[in-house]
Amino acid sequence: MKPYRMHLMVCAGTACVSNKSYKIKKVLEEEIKKQGLEDEVAVVTTGCNGFCAQGPLMVVQPDGVFYQLLKEEDIPHLVEEHFLKGRPVKEKMYVPPEEKMPIPTMDNIDFFKYQRLIALRNRGLIDPEKIDEYIARDGYNALVKALTEMSPDDIIREVKTSGLRGRGGAGFPTGLKWELTRASENGEVEKYIVCNADEGDPGAFMDRSIIESDPHSVLEGMAIGARAIGATKGFIYIRHEYPLALERLNKAIKQACEYGLLGENILDTGFNFDVDVHRGAGAFVCGEETALLAALEGRFGEPRPRPPYPVEKGLWGKPTNINNVETWANVPIIISRGSKWFSEIGTETSKGTKVFSLVGKINNTGLVEVPMGITMRDIVYKIGGGIPDGKEFKAVQTGGPSGGCIPKALLDLPVDYESLTDAGSMMGSGGMVVMDEETCMVDVARYFLTFTQDESCGKCTPCREGTKRMLEILTKITQGEGTEEDLQLLEELANEVKKSALCGLGKTAPNPVLTTLRYFRDEYETHIREKKCPAHVCRKLNVYTIDPEICVTKGHGCGVCMRECPEGAIAGEKNKPHRIEQDKCIKCGVCYEVCRFKAIYIQ
Amino acid sequence: MQDSGFEPKLVGFLCRWCTYQGADLAGTSRIEYPPNLIPIRVMCSGRVDSSFVIDAFSRGADGVIIFGCHPGDCHYQEGNYKALRRYTLLVKMLEQFGIEKERIRLDWVSASEGERFTEVVKEATAQIKKLGPLNWQKVKETYI
Amino acid sequence: MVKAILDKQSIEVEEGTTILEAATERGITIPTLCYHPLLEPYSACRICMVEVEERGKKDLRTACNTAITEGMVIETSSENAIRARRMNLELLMAQAPGAEVLKEMAFEMGITKSRFPVTDETEKCILCGLCVRVCEDVVGAHAISFVNRGADRCVSTPYGESSEFCISCGACAYFCPTGSISLEELTGAKIVHTELPLGPSTAVRVPFMQSIPNVPFIDAEACINFKTDGCKLCEKVCEPQAINHEMKDEFIEVDIGTAIIATGYELLDVSDMQNYGYGRFDNVLSALEFEHLCNAGGPTGGKILLKNGESPQSLAIIHCVGSRDKNYKRYCSRICCMYAMKFAHLVKEKTDADVFEFYIDIRSFGKGYEEFYNRMLEERVNFIRGKAAEVSNAAMVPEEEGKLVVRCEDTLAGFIRRIPVDMVILCPAVVPREDVSEVGKLFGVTLSEDGFLKELHPKLAPLSTSSDGIFLAGTCQSPKDIPDTVAQGAGAAGAVLSLGDAVYLEPINSVIDEEKCVGCRICIGVCAYDAIFFDDEKKVSKIEETLCKGCGACVAACPSGASTQNGFTDAQLLAEVEGALI
Repeated sequence: MKPYRMHLMVCAGTACVSNKSYKIKKVLEEEIKKQGLEDEVAVVTTGCNGFCAQGPLMVVQPDGVFYQLLKEEDIPHLVEEHFLKGRPVKEKMYVPPEEKMPIPTMDNIDFFKYQRLIALRNRGLIDPEKIDEYIARDGYNALVKALTEMSPDDIIREVKTSGLRGRGGAGFPTGLKWELTRASENGEVEKYIVCNADEGDPGAFMDRSIIESDPHSVLEGMAIGARAIGATKGFIYIRHEYPLALERLNKAIKQACEYGLLGENILDTGFNFDVDVHRGAGAFVCGEETALLAALEGRFGEPRPRPPYPVEKGLWGKPTNINNVETWANVPIIISRGSKWFSEIGTETSKGTKVFSLVGKINNTGLVEVPMGITMRDIVYKIGGGIPDGKEFKAVQTGGPSGGCIPKALLDLPVDYESLTDAGSMMGSGGMVVMDEETCMVDVARYFLTFTQDESCGKCTPCREGTKRMLEILTKITQGEGTEEDLQLLEELANEVKKSALCGLGKTAPNPVLTTLRYFRDEYETHIREKKCPAHVCRKLNVYTIDPEICVTKGHGCGVCMRECPEGAIAGEKNKPHRIEQDKCIKCGVCYEVCRFKAIYIQ
Repeated sequence: MQDSGFEPKLVGFLCRWCTYQGADLAGTSRIEYPPNLIPIRVMCSGRVDSSFVIDAFSRGADGVIIFGCHPGDCHYQEGNYKALRRYTLLVKMLEQFGIEKERIRLDWVSASEGERFTEVVKEATAQIKKLGPLNWQKVKETYI
Repeated sequence: MVKAILDKQSIEVEEGTTILEAATERGITIPTLCYHPLLEPYSACRICMVEVEERGKKDLRTACNTAITEGMVIETSSENAIRARRMNLELLMAQAPGAEVLKEMAFEMGITKSRFPVTDETEKCILCGLCVRVCEDVVGAHAISFVNRGADRCVSTPYGESSEFCISCGACAYFCPTGSISLEELTGAKIVHTELPLGPSTAVRVPFMQSIPNVPFIDAEACINFKTDGCKLCEKVCEPQAINHEMKDEFIEVDIGTAIIATGYELLDVSDMQNYGYGRFDNVLSALEFEHLCNAGGPTGGKILLKNGESPQSLAIIHCVGSRDKNYKRYCSRICCMYAMKFAHLVKEKTDADVFEFYIDIRSFGKGYEEFYNRMLEERVNFIRGKAAEVSNAAMVPEEEGKLVVRCEDTLAGFIRRIPVDMVILCPAVVPREDVSEVGKLFGVTLSEDGFLKELHPKLAPLSTSSDGIFLAGTCQSPKDIPDTVAQGAGAAGAVLSLGDAVYLEPINSVIDEEKCVGCRICIGVCAYDAIFFDDEKKVSKIEETLCKGCGACVAACPSGASTQNGFTDAQLLAEVEGALI
């Protein structure tokens, strides 16, 4: 490798790519050439950096200077000023909200400062399409150690004592799962390793980022797992909607095979391990392990009852170990640095870190990896930078459509498997949606139920019919037609569906309903009794009214609202207060938005 | 040829299982036919030695008919085929002696074909009537 | 063996026994919908929920597929379980209000109606998947499956089109608990007179009620296993394991001494008789078809019905269709007059239709036959002397609209008549079976002029044939009715029995004079019965007298005159020739 004095790590995760980060790279390279710096300054495209709200972005190494919200026209100035003349450009640096001074280096930015990168250890530091860079950062060392210095039982012991739990959502102890798979019909039948990269939760992109930034971490983890369990074949089930991740994954597999790190006789140890990639076809239910196995076998993607569990009877009836992408990514570093090191991070029952996608009404939207046990408050305010526009925090939804809402009162909850489950939610795959006072909790429940109802496979009665009926009732409530009986029925239905559904999808689909009922029951009651939505989200319940005083004194009866109203529901004359005729009003909210004088309010 | 009042003498070899029964049926059915044919019963048409035919001609027969079962129906499986083979050679031989081939005839009549039996006899009688009597002396002198 | 507690009772079961199995054995009822003992459990309906405590944790589980483990505590009717059951039933009732089985279950659980709104009142399918599982796993036809996800899920063929993989076995309809799937007649016809068999038509059945032997067989045409290699449910349920799909036809060689040929008759195919319209018009039946119709095990359960399912108001029975006819068969078929009268009598008994019989002569020759004919006259059956010339559907007057019109010459009354009827029965000629000449050749029996097998003598030996030891019985020899057939059958059996054990030698057999024999062996090749063998020591041919049939072929072939036939020596025959030509 050439000794460059500067490396520009340009984020090329899917979000930044769709924001033209490849173009930025091209322009950078052109400018660098123009300035004659091509032997001194290297441009590297890395995987997702994590601070997605501020993309396209780039980190200048070795200084660690962080540039964000880049546009093509910024580049020439940047190259000349910083890379040629050595003067970092303040205008493109990150300024925390409510503050004036930019923070030049990434490590000083709160968003990054409080994270602990383990699964995402190579984030932003390597080009994921170059295996050499992964190896340079100690990549595949763990595999060498596992194959040459450890026995399969040693490997399993390490993973067990590390306390690593499944990162896909259920949190089952990984080491134990490996042990059970290994013990199933030991030595007599073929066994399989599967990586669940279906990541169906809407808005979740942890697994996508891991694969896009560091695909080899997953492959290495899988190879170690195969060795421990006694499998020679692995499958990665990746959802259809991740073309960039798929491309990088395929490239990584090819490169690993070329280097003899995958395939036959790996590292001359006689260990064979082969990986196939299978693309999903747009079904959330195929993230459920038995449905995933059915899809891999070419059958209808429908879950089957368990027991028997896949560790006993999985793919084609053989013992199969399925783990999530993030779980696999954690394995190599546990082997390298030891289970003791890993078990010192996190809480008593939940070891290590977790990657979360922090989205919603939050200043710093992006991907974060934090140690287990960190409080929700820290995530929201320290790392997330708080709620934008000075609004009030209301709740944070964790675990996607299978999870629930954590209200303000529980902000100091430590984030780990048990605490979240006790609060009625769950860790899930790591989605965190922050909500403020302008979020209607009934609508949130309705939103998640729309998703689960659409994605239900339809096999079992409670999920197929139950989610449909829950959605029906929720829709009724948001449209102002809900009754007290509806609320009772909704709660009863949610409880029964949770108890009698066949698979995880059905069992967890009522969670959003149950947690919002638990912590925000008053909102439901307002919708039903007063036919009003406190957050003004349920349009049909909004009653738009013009304050006559403000209209006359400030707006002088400007008549803008009257002109904009699509239904001609506003009447009035210049300098006279305007009025909305309620029976014509379709609650579109246009008048509310166009009034410059804030004369219109919602009751 | 004018009807000179010549009545040919025909000798018939009838196989017991098929033609003899057919002739019997003709009788019980009261079908009329010319009396020129004298039937001689054999068990099977395959029993008929070619020398019998020559013997018949030498004793004054104007015509000989060998009757058997239809091919495939012989009571003794293949006897009628043997008769057929002999007949084929016999006809050639007799022609060389100057005996017209119409005088020696092979026909198949089954036990239920009473009517057909009478047809064959009628036909043969008419035919040989036309041919006229066989001049055995001439045959003997010329060829034997 | 595994120990557990079921509804507070200690039980011990074999490993792998499900909760549902254990409960059913002990008389505990757990309601199910998608479960069937012959199929793998599917656990989709979630009705059979029971409360289970396993390893200290309480949970609701489905009874149909949960295996009992050591120390499990099961409560089949706990509050939690019942609540879950009821909710799921309510959900199903709202989804498929047309399913009767749900209403029954609801009644038992004390649910009057579902609290959820109904979209389709007529929907019956409860998505239990029994039909799909049968078609895929048991039958192996893969014609139907579940399509669409979630609440749009339904059972269908690919793209909803008619499936070429469906073998119309009806298994799906049989297993469907709600009647949502049913077999449909493609033609829409209610009764198809000709194609329905005599009895219930499953693939495993007794051929017909009076069959001998009266044992069930597997009809390879209808059996699913022969089409798809699947099913075999019959083998699963047969306790004595008496079913074997692999059975093949065995060809057994039996040495027999004598044979009785009783291969029966057929009816003349009257489809090409244009003038009667058989096969063209609805409701023109041949005699055997009408017999099927009248039979209590028949397609209508014995009711006399037209093709559209209605009862006929008038019927015509036409005698001598193809019999006594120089264009078809010259003989009289003997049985038709009497059965035609029987039909008339049955019609009068079962309906109040008018019956018209078109005859040439009434042949009521047997015991009680003439008396029966008189009875028919008293029952007001209309006998018209005159062979029916034509059956047509062309109406010439309003009364003939929609009817079949029989045209005939009423020779007694002396004019041409047109009689409109609803149904026409034809009495076709009795003819020998199609393969009668092959059968004859096999046994060495020839055919008589009418095509039936030929008896030795029509008056004196109607049972024997020209082949020794081969006898005839029944209609293979000539048309006859039941008393005559029975008599002939008994007679043939008697003839066989009186044959005894002795072998009768031909008196007219052939003999070889050893002195004269030159050992040319021509005779051995000529003998059709392999009765001649060569004595290697004496170098002469010898005839085995028990095998010799006395045909005389060897005699005619022997060049040295060594072979002679007793009773038919050359000398004897030549003497006959001499005698003939005196």
